[in-house]
Amino acid sequence: MRSHEPLRLRIQLTKEGPARYLSHSEYSRAILFAARRSALPLGFTGEHRPRLKVSLSPPLPIGITSECELVDLQLIGYVPAAEAEVVLSRAFTAGIKVVFCRLMGADEKPVGKLIDTATYRVTLPEGYGAGRWRAAATEYIEKDRVLFERVQPRKTRTLDLRPGTHRLEVETDESAGAILNMTLDDGISGTVKPWEVVEVLASYAGVPEKDWKRAGIHRNGLFARRGEKLVSPMEAGAGRPAVTRRGGRRF
Amino acid sequence: MNSSLPGGLNGRLQELLLLVERPSRYLGGEWNSPEVAPGGVSVALAYPDIYEIGSSNLGLAILQEVVNEIEGASAERVYSPWVDMEAGMRSSGLPLFTLETHRPVSSLDIFGISVPHELTYTNILNLIDLAGLPLASVDRRDGPIVIGGGCGTANPEPLAEFFDLFVLGDGEEVLTSIVLTVARAKEAGLPRSRVIEELALLQGVYRPADYEVIYNTDGTVGEVRRLDGSDRKPGKGLVDIDRWLYPRKPIVPFCEPVHDRLNVEVFRGCTRGCRFCLSGMTGRPVRERSAGEVVKLVDELSQITGHDEVSLCSLSSTDYSRIDDVASRVTKICRDRNMILSLPSLRMDAMSAGLAARLDKGGRGGLTFAPEAGTERLRAVINKPISEEDMAHAVLHAVRAGRRRIKLYFMIGLQTETDEDVLEISRLVYRLRDVVRRESLPPPSFNVSVSTFVPKPHTPFQWCAQESREGVRRKQDLLKSSLRSKSVNLSWHDRDMSAVEGFLARGDRRISSVIRRAWESGGRFDSWSEHFDISIWESAWEAAGLDPSLYLGRERGADEVFPWEHLDHGLDRDFLRRELERALAGELTSDCRGGDCSKCGVCTDFDTEPRLSGQWEGG
Repeated sequence: MRSHEPLRLRIQLTKEGPARYLSHSEYSRAILFAARRSALPLGFTGEHRPRLKVSLSPPLPIGITSECELVDLQLIGYVPAAEAEVVLSRAFTAGIKVVFCRLMGADEKPVGKLIDTATYRVTLPEGYGAGRWRAAATEYIEKDRVLFERVQPRKTRTLDLRPGTHRLEVETDESAGAILNMTLDDGISGTVKPWEVVEVLASYAGVPEKDWKRAGIHRNGLFARRGEKLVSPMEAGAGRPAVTRRGGRRF
Repeated sequence: MNSSLPGGLNGRLQELLLLVERPSRYLGGEWNSPEVAPGGVSVALAYPDIYEIGSSNLGLAILQEVVNEIEGASAERVYSPWVDMEAGMRSSGLPLFTLETHRPVSSLDIFGISVPHELTYTNILNLIDLAGLPLASVDRRDGPIVIGGGCGTANPEPLAEFFDLFVLGDGEEVLTSIVLTVARAKEAGLPRSRVIEELALLQGVYRPADYEVIYNTDGTVGEVRRLDGSDRKPGKGLVDIDRWLYPRKPIVPFCEPVHDRLNVEVFRGCTRGCRFCLSGMTGRPVRERSAGEVVKLVDELSQITGHDEVSLCSLSSTDYSRIDDVASRVTKICRDRNMILSLPSLRMDAMSAGLAARLDKGGRGGLTFAPEAGTERLRAVINKPISEEDMAHAVLHAVRAGRRRIKLYFMIGLQTETDEDVLEISRLVYRLRDVVRRESLPPPSFNVSVSTFVPKPHTPFQWCAQESREGVRRKQDLLKSSLRSKSVNLSWHDRDMSAVEGFLARGDRRISSVIRRAWESGGRFDSWSEHFDISIWESAWEAAGLDPSLYLGRERGADEVFPWEHLDHGLDRDFLRRELERALAGELTSDCRGGDCSKCGVCTDFDTEPRLSGQWEGG
């Protein structure tokens, strides 16, 4: 390990098994503790109360699994990505596994300011047939507006889900049955929650709540949209050059 | 989640997890949580409150590791399910389960329940019921042996009906003996009742069924009689914490616990002699951990947990004989690892500039001090003689070290307290604020928390009446009207809660019917203001035909027999009575750390003496 300009270590993680029941703040906490345990040369902010310099991908609702959660950590010393992957893998608990690590320049845009699109694979409940869900998806896509009432603890508001829904495709998997693939806004562009889309589709397909709530949702991709193209955040230069007006580096 | 063990409830549990507010409370599988092997003696260790509170309890963390290190034994955690989870469990028939293997608690051998304070009693009954066990000990013919332990066992009598056994004092050695005894008994195929009889013979174990209570016609206790006619007195367990270096693998919760930091115990017991303090009286003598072990634990545990804050904990950490040395060495570790150091229990008369500078400057929660009373006279009554000058220095040190919030704990309802003493709390806070102003330092905000004094058993004030609810209301109003400033936030404890706490703290076995009725009427989480309902308790008092004033508003006679008198925490009754008389005369009793023995009786009774770190480390 030798001293080096700060680097950005981008880590792709899973959120599966018991970890799928963690809230975003709990999942973030698990990552921060694991990072500290790893003993990597991490960058901290603040003198009196040091805090890790970290950036996280958009929150994943409780119960949804993922293979593509992202976190950026600042490294103040060079560590090969493969070594970081090994060290971090030992520091995580059940359900959170390191999929991939990549070193990037500190001027790369952080994941929290980069991600705007997520893809999901939804295992739909048995007993309704792929055709019924496919028809519902077609009905959804053909609409100009799909209004949904989002109920939150402090306020309820009506949203149009349609502009943030980019793809809905239903396929049939021999082992898993009907599968819905979705591409939705998530992150800096605003968020369409996957359960909201499933609920709307279920209402079109006439699937009762007790059944559609049994759907298994899995996030399988996070991207930065560049026109029609979805760019992987693991690709160097996925974000715009991260130079501030003052010329300093972002983190 | 480990679901491979027989009896696992994983499938049914998963259905509920998506319906509750915080599923992580019920998951298990946290970093450093133990892998539990099936077979042998299985122990459930329960805390009667939610995960965030229970997971911060150092005692249970220590005991879990102690048991898990015994060959052929395993300990798993259990916490009270929050109301949403309880509703789900009851409607779906899911019994209380352990976190490590999600087994039903009823399938284990021992069900240990911590008794932290009086306002958890209904939660304790709820745990037993959710486990599917009969509430009363006499009705349990099979299933785990239900054992209580912790601070609340200073007077376990109100809970006597519900527990098979209690562990008194430190649990490390006693629980080890219990587990080994149960292992032998299982091997020998002894019936449950015989196992309990054998356990009742162990040092540190109290079996309520071995005693009967005779009441006088005026309702007071006449005698607590041992049924076998012997004069055996259950005594507390007492360990040398330098030989029990636990926890060695602290579990890191998924969610943020109330004490989100690495806790390293620096000593147990306290001999300052604050006359209101139950822990200070029953936890005697002082047993310090050596400085080297403290620093080593901080070094090792911070690496294996990833915490960003370390706390040197005890009843009064600034009293640790090598605090400056240890704080200096721990600060260096903290600096190297981007951590901060905190001391949760600070005495204002032991706060030095150097120590203040070593503490967390950013201050997650500011600094907390407990002057307890507004006047020097009243502080002498409670034997906590902190001068106002010391308080001013402590506040100045804290502010100069960068703290922007100062929390001050006071009590009202103390013996001999007058309205003037109460008003002096307000004046004292203003004077401390002005001290900072005069030095032209950045003004901190003062959070003043005022609780109601509840006389506790095994303390000099066990003979005293508790202030009435009306009296407390009047004194709280005095404070509210006299302490009004933008820089001061005043908060106070619910006086109804304090009344229930006082009723239970010095209660006898008849109280068990009140607790049962309160629980049956929906009493849960009584220390949570949003759940506490005094009407439940008032109805329970009435239905049980018990007059709370017998327990609360009554001065006890000098010779009155207390319901807890048969339990030996080492304190001589004469010492406690002497301390009461000295309190009423405003006389101080010195800390025996300095060699001035107050003749409390503990060292003689347990053939021990205070152990200070400096004694064997050349300090």
